[in-house]
Amino acid sequence: MRFSVFVLPQPQSVPHLLLEKASNMQPSRREDLRLIQGAGHYTADWNQPGQLYGFVLRSPHAHADIVSLNIEPARAMPGVVRVMTFADTQAAGFKSLVGGVAPNVKGVGDSAMLKPFYPVLADKKVHYVGQAVAYVIAESAAVAQDATEAIEVEYNELPPVVTVEDAVAASAPQLHTEAPGNVAFVYQRGDAAAVEEAFKKAKYTSKIHLESQRLIVNPMEPRACLAVYHKEEDRYTLYSSSQGIVNMRNQVSTVTGIPQAKLEIVAEDVGGSFGIRSTPYPEYMASLLAAKELGRPIKWVGTRTDSFLSDYHGRALELNGEIAIDENGKFLAFRWDDRVDLGGYAGGNGAFIGTNNVTITCGGVYDVPALYARTRLIYTNTTPISAYRGAGRPDIAFAIERLVDQACHDHGFDPVELRRKNFVTPAQMPYKTAIGTNYDCGDFAAVMDDALAQADYAGYAARKAASEKAGKIRGIGFATFLEASGGGNTPSDQTAARFNAKGEVTIYCAAGASGQGHETTFVWLFAKELGVPEKGISYRASDSSMAVVGNGTGGSRTLLGQGSSFKLLAQKVIEKAKPHAAEALGASAGDVTYAEGKFSAGGKSVGLWELAQKLATSASAHPFDCGAEGTFGVTFPNGCHVAEVEFDPITGVAEIAAYAAVDDLGNVMQPTLVLGQVHGGVVQGAGQVFAEHAVYDRESGQFLTGSFMDYTMPRASMVPLAMKWRGHAVPTKSNLLGAKGVGESGCSGSLPALMNAVMNALRPYGVDNMQMPITAAKVWQALQENQGAGAERRAA
Amino acid sequence: MYALSYQRAKSLEDAATLLAAEPEAKLMAGGQTLIPTLKARLAQPSHLVDLARVKELQGIELKGGVLSIGAMTRHFDVMSSPVVQKAIPGLANLASLIGDLQVRNRGTMGGSIANNDPAADYPAGVLAHNTTIVTNRREIAADDYFQGMFATALEEGEIIIRLDWPVPKQSAYSKFEHPASGYAMAGTCIAQLADGSVRVGVTGAGSSGAFRWTEAEEALAKSFSLKSLEGLKIDPENCLADLHAPAEYRAHLVGVMATRALQKML
Repeated sequence: MRFSVFVLPQPQSVPHLLLEKASNMQPSRREDLRLIQGAGHYTADWNQPGQLYGFVLRSPHAHADIVSLNIEPARAMPGVVRVMTFADTQAAGFKSLVGGVAPNVKGVGDSAMLKPFYPVLADKKVHYVGQAVAYVIAESAAVAQDATEAIEVEYNELPPVVTVEDAVAASAPQLHTEAPGNVAFVYQRGDAAAVEEAFKKAKYTSKIHLESQRLIVNPMEPRACLAVYHKEEDRYTLYSSSQGIVNMRNQVSTVTGIPQAKLEIVAEDVGGSFGIRSTPYPEYMASLLAAKELGRPIKWVGTRTDSFLSDYHGRALELNGEIAIDENGKFLAFRWDDRVDLGGYAGGNGAFIGTNNVTITCGGVYDVPALYARTRLIYTNTTPISAYRGAGRPDIAFAIERLVDQACHDHGFDPVELRRKNFVTPAQMPYKTAIGTNYDCGDFAAVMDDALAQADYAGYAARKAASEKAGKIRGIGFATFLEASGGGNTPSDQTAARFNAKGEVTIYCAAGASGQGHETTFVWLFAKELGVPEKGISYRASDSSMAVVGNGTGGSRTLLGQGSSFKLLAQKVIEKAKPHAAEALGASAGDVTYAEGKFSAGGKSVGLWELAQKLATSASAHPFDCGAEGTFGVTFPNGCHVAEVEFDPITGVAEIAAYAAVDDLGNVMQPTLVLGQVHGGVVQGAGQVFAEHAVYDRESGQFLTGSFMDYTMPRASMVPLAMKWRGHAVPTKSNLLGAKGVGESGCSGSLPALMNAVMNALRPYGVDNMQMPITAAKVWQALQENQGAGAERRAA
Repeated sequence: MYALSYQRAKSLEDAATLLAAEPEAKLMAGGQTLIPTLKARLAQPSHLVDLARVKELQGIELKGGVLSIGAMTRHFDVMSSPVVQKAIPGLANLASLIGDLQVRNRGTMGGSIANNDPAADYPAGVLAHNTTIVTNRREIAADDYFQGMFATALEEGEIIIRLDWPVPKQSAYSKFEHPASGYAMAGTCIAQLADGSVRVGVTGAGSSGAFRWTEAEEALAKSFSLKSLEGLKIDPENCLADLHAPAEYRAHLVGVMATRALQKML
């Protein structure tokens, strides 16, 4: 046998820089060794004795009535234990999957959101390709899959609509009887009259139409679950990848009726979330139901195809912006009229994104006296959407910065000076925007100047000339942006510390990591606050037995929330230990001081760990055990990203020629992890700009990009090698760390910076607007079509 | 994947026998297309006959101006073989551009040619080099072999043993990768054969699979220079169009790739 599988790539294809880095690399995170050695526990790694396997029959149609559904041929197959349909979930009293805006959120005319029942298994009708129709449970996954093919479903196909444009057309088919015209909700925010007035006064106006195209989220780990019913205790355990057990437990409980107290959620390692794993999916609920009924654990492991079809999709927003500017270049108003493609149902956080998130910072970093935003939420025959890295905030940041650049282009403003003139200044902080959002702090001009200096913005002309000499088309663009972080739906973030018999401590919270490095950061934070080395401190998330609650990971909030709470927790431990130290030192508690792991009084001292060990017993509670909690406010990470792109006019291929970013993330705790987040976010944005697009066939509603053969993921070659970054901290007072969050800012910066660079490059060639993704074919075609206009423009 | 029986052929004869024994049996070479197809349940063979251990399908040999490459030779072995690199460096380079590391270390020349994916790389090379496909029954000329997308001259039960590549004066391949799949959106191979004739094979772009670009061949035969390619155009009517690229773009890329291939040789 020959092993030629592991071969180094040809040296010339790998930059030496990377090779060098790789060879010097040390695991910089506590979780790395475990994960790279295969010792992580992802959902599919869990098994239970006697488990059965589930497989989902999915709709092959975008829009169809289910005329009949015959499960008998499947049920009769050897090894098949159960076939579940809507009737079973109905008999169990299942409610609709959770989605839509909060009940107190009203739309135009005090309207409520029109939200059709989103069944765990389809009832009478299917609304998108991939919707769960039936759930087969068998002795093996292969048998379960075979059996789904034996189920006889007679569909009556109906005309589908797969874009908002088509869905709101007068001739569009009606998808849900509950939502006339396929409109779920019309939301508005701000002062329409004031904006109208401002536009009347304006010397200059510009407008732009943008599409933040539908994306497949594609975490590395496909979705999976393992549902267990403990009969003796009438209790359930659900193993499933999630961003936080609290929201998962809430929603599973809401849909299934299983009381929260009887439902334990286990999620140890999670291979990526990006927003789509904060809420449960049909397979989890159906598996819980079957686990109880059959008295055996049910395991379901999705395939990549399941990910493409049935993971919530991301983005799918259309943004239409207008800007009004006075004769001095001062912004008077922004007006937004946006449309959100919810997909077949309101699931996950789609409606929240389309209402709150896309409007909360719709004035960006600018002092805009009048703001108004309207968004229309539309049903289509596509997979429902939910959060995707930034969840509406990168979209609006992108739209604002494209609009501001458009105004510069239309009216001859300098992009640096127009922005500078309109920034909210540090003196204006805290600043309440015209839409009611309170910015706490930030120094946008300083961040911009820092970024432009780092990018050598002033020296761009020489680089452009060099590109032109090489036959390339070069463009530069930048974006000054801000986003809201720290939001959450759990009232507080709790943490807990529990000491064991050796006097070692484990610290807990309820936020689930999916690559962020919580273990590294929180142990470091806790140790730093105690003034001790990290030895003897370990971390566990999502341990239901600790009864710790808190927000899930999302909204760039975990460091601000849970991190602050861990800081409090360390202080709590010192407080708890102090009376014991006093006793050991023969002093009164008031005389005991604590520093760097030691309690001291009257010249004597005792170590924290020493004391912990001394007081440890085999009893379950240690006297130092304690919990902490806090509620920490919203804050606004912001930054300025500068990008240069170069096009090969012969093929249309783009390259990110340079990238420099400065972010105000507040105080940075772990520079390596922060840099990783920035890189990941920037590249995810680059993926949307140049590559990714989930496409449905307009006629048939079939999903055309259902695999990596047709869905373009960002490649390593797309990563700008010379990517510069630095922080520019303006610490916030809204949490105990002064941190602002980093998870999503990379995307919020790179979408507009890259697209402004793209447009800067292509405008002289007659291209006035281009929607993402900026593929080579599209660029080449545009250059061909606009040859005449381009030549005129370049001559002028 | 549907349940199936796996069989490992011990020899060429054994492979032929196993294949003939079951009407729904299928050969497996490197499996780089077949396995994903099976996983997606897009094919349902009753038996897989694995050719990995068949000795007659192995080996690279240069003899009398012909480079013979066994059907089961992996792309990695083609790209890294000193014999190939010396005799037909353009072919070694073509192999190095196929798929990714994993694919190159499992995928085989015979498997690729038998499958005849319209965007595979080898078909362009086979057409340009006027390669002969040697099977357990006969020898098939390159021009007779490719018969449209996924269609070949191979008959039921016919097994490719090797490909005989006449060593050209020089040859080169240039490929524009499909952004998602990495297959050829357009790939052009130019070979200047020992007798001085020029052949140009194109993959990825054609609406009926790989084809020879005869206009370019004639122009380059007159003058083997970049100038000869100027103004030559593929008719978009004969090109693939899909959501990734219109036919005009693929037609254009064929010319660009031809230029880039030629540049490697001048």
